[in-house]
Amino acid sequence: MNPTSPFSLATLAIVVLSLFGLPIGHAMIAGSVLYLWMAGLDMGTAAEQLLNGMYTSYVLLAIPLFILAAEFMNSGSIMDRLLRFCNALVGRWRGGLAHVNVVQSIIFAGMSGSALADAAGSGKIMQILMTKDGKYTPAFAAALTAASSVIGPIIPPSIPLVIYALVSDTSIGYLFLGGVVPGLLLGFAQMALIAYTARRRNFPVEPPVPVRELPRVAWQAFPALMMPVILLGLMYSGVTTPTEAAAAAAFYALLVSALVYRSIGWRDFHQSLMNSARMTISIGMLIAGAIVFNYVITVENIPKTISAVLKAYELSPFTFLLLANLLLLVLGCFLEGTTILLIIVPVMLPTAQALGVDPVHFGVVAVVNIMIGLITPPYGLLLFMMVKIADVPLKDIVRDILPFLGVMIAALALITFVPELVLFLPRLFGYQG
Amino acid sequence: MRAVGAWLRRRAENVAAAMIGVMFVAFIIQIVFRYLFNFPIGWSSELTVIMWLWLVLWGAAFVVRESDEIRFDLLSGAMGKRARIAMGIITAVALVVLYAASFPATWKYVTFMKVERTAYLGIRFDWLFSIYLAFAAAVIVRYLWILSHLLRGEEPEQVDLTKSSSGL
Repeated sequence: MNPTSPFSLATLAIVVLSLFGLPIGHAMIAGSVLYLWMAGLDMGTAAEQLLNGMYTSYVLLAIPLFILAAEFMNSGSIMDRLLRFCNALVGRWRGGLAHVNVVQSIIFAGMSGSALADAAGSGKIMQILMTKDGKYTPAFAAALTAASSVIGPIIPPSIPLVIYALVSDTSIGYLFLGGVVPGLLLGFAQMALIAYTARRRNFPVEPPVPVRELPRVAWQAFPALMMPVILLGLMYSGVTTPTEAAAAAAFYALLVSALVYRSIGWRDFHQSLMNSARMTISIGMLIAGAIVFNYVITVENIPKTISAVLKAYELSPFTFLLLANLLLLVLGCFLEGTTILLIIVPVMLPTAQALGVDPVHFGVVAVVNIMIGLITPPYGLLLFMMVKIADVPLKDIVRDILPFLGVMIAALALITFVPELVLFLPRLFGYQG
Repeated sequence: MRAVGAWLRRRAENVAAAMIGVMFVAFIIQIVFRYLFNFPIGWSSELTVIMWLWLVLWGAAFVVRESDEIRFDLLSGAMGKRARIAMGIITAVALVVLYAASFPATWKYVTFMKVERTAYLGIRFDWLFSIYLAFAAAVIVRYLWILSHLLRGEEPEQVDLTKSSSGL
């Protein structure tokens, strides 16, 4: 490729501006404008692409609504009830609270589409519970919370999978179904590791909850536990579109928090709207920038060129997936997840399709990969978050998270090379792929 | 001056919260009408898409603080103060020049869109898309302001790492 072509210079500009600390959305818009300018094209095209792209991407509306649903569900008393329910289930095992942390993440994953929402919601509570009376070291508790939060966006609903649905033109419904088994698998892998560590480090057991207490604890958590059921039920019965299901889920979450648990008042309602707006704006700006830059990428025919080059190597689908995984894992250490999904993954997609890799499978693999990036040093967002919540030095959390990273990468390998694990559920619901 | 700025920003936040609220309510109305009354309405989905577009650009222009935005800060975080200021000046100048250079063509595109209206609500597209002009203008002004601080040797505010990402 010519190093002084408009495209090369524009890409260089985006990289340099981002490295120098400009918000990534702005960097992509600015770089694309530079491209249009140097290529002698109409510079108004940037605005045209951005406006029309945002105006016609109806599926993206699910993002603010899923954020809103998680905000409504994230109130203290709902979390307490969920934790009590999880404790009744798995607290009696050795390393009980550690298992509770994972099970809680799996259940909360069915309500929220964001790992950050999960860590912010339960992170603080779990940290206090686990470190009380010196049961677990703060570093282990923080590492575990970071690792278990990753499950959130893999089990539906999932914001990254909505973004992938947009860039790949794949059905959100099938993608969500594809995330179920991998999400559970990650959870089980973490629990297996906890069971092993618990015996070696002699983790404490929680006082068992008597069996006759179980129905009461379950009943108190019931309205919250129903949320994933309602959400998925609406989507797969075909009653609503995924986007409408997101709105219905947010509405249900609001009803449950306001009327059943009485844990949310007007002030919290406004605060939830505000938090959701803020998060929507920052993700939205990134998407807006990516829409403009993806136009440039398409004009330059980049994905097809790469696909043609790779085709000459006659890769097998497995080799491609292996290389894609390695690339995404490395990029995930340095780049932010949404950016990878919006810029890098679309470039890989035509090659994946040409090689016969299933788009739903590829999407779930890519998202699991990007989620693992959230807990990989040096640029693991969830690690920074837990440093703040738990007040533990980063290097201590990193030491304790390495075994979790190990089992999660093993699970990723399994998901990558056994596509049936991902595709089994979507096919059951009629996915032809 | 600072108090006025803070007051305006809070009102801008209220508007953003209201927009996401409208989006939420419009969706609920749409579902109720379609499935309970068997009466599909089109304006609600149009309204939600408009709210989405406006929320993002309005928010990026008037609501987000520098510390809220998604950026890559491994490098800038590791640099000394002088280097950070130099990097800030370069990015601010580049952004202002490029947004300003594309402004006339953008203006032309947006005003040209007056010939079209949205399907249900009949809103003229030049009005609908004018938010981009406000966004671009606000970004140019904000970065000129940042630039003026940087040129006086004042450091940009420290970025909070946990807030600098989309937080999937």
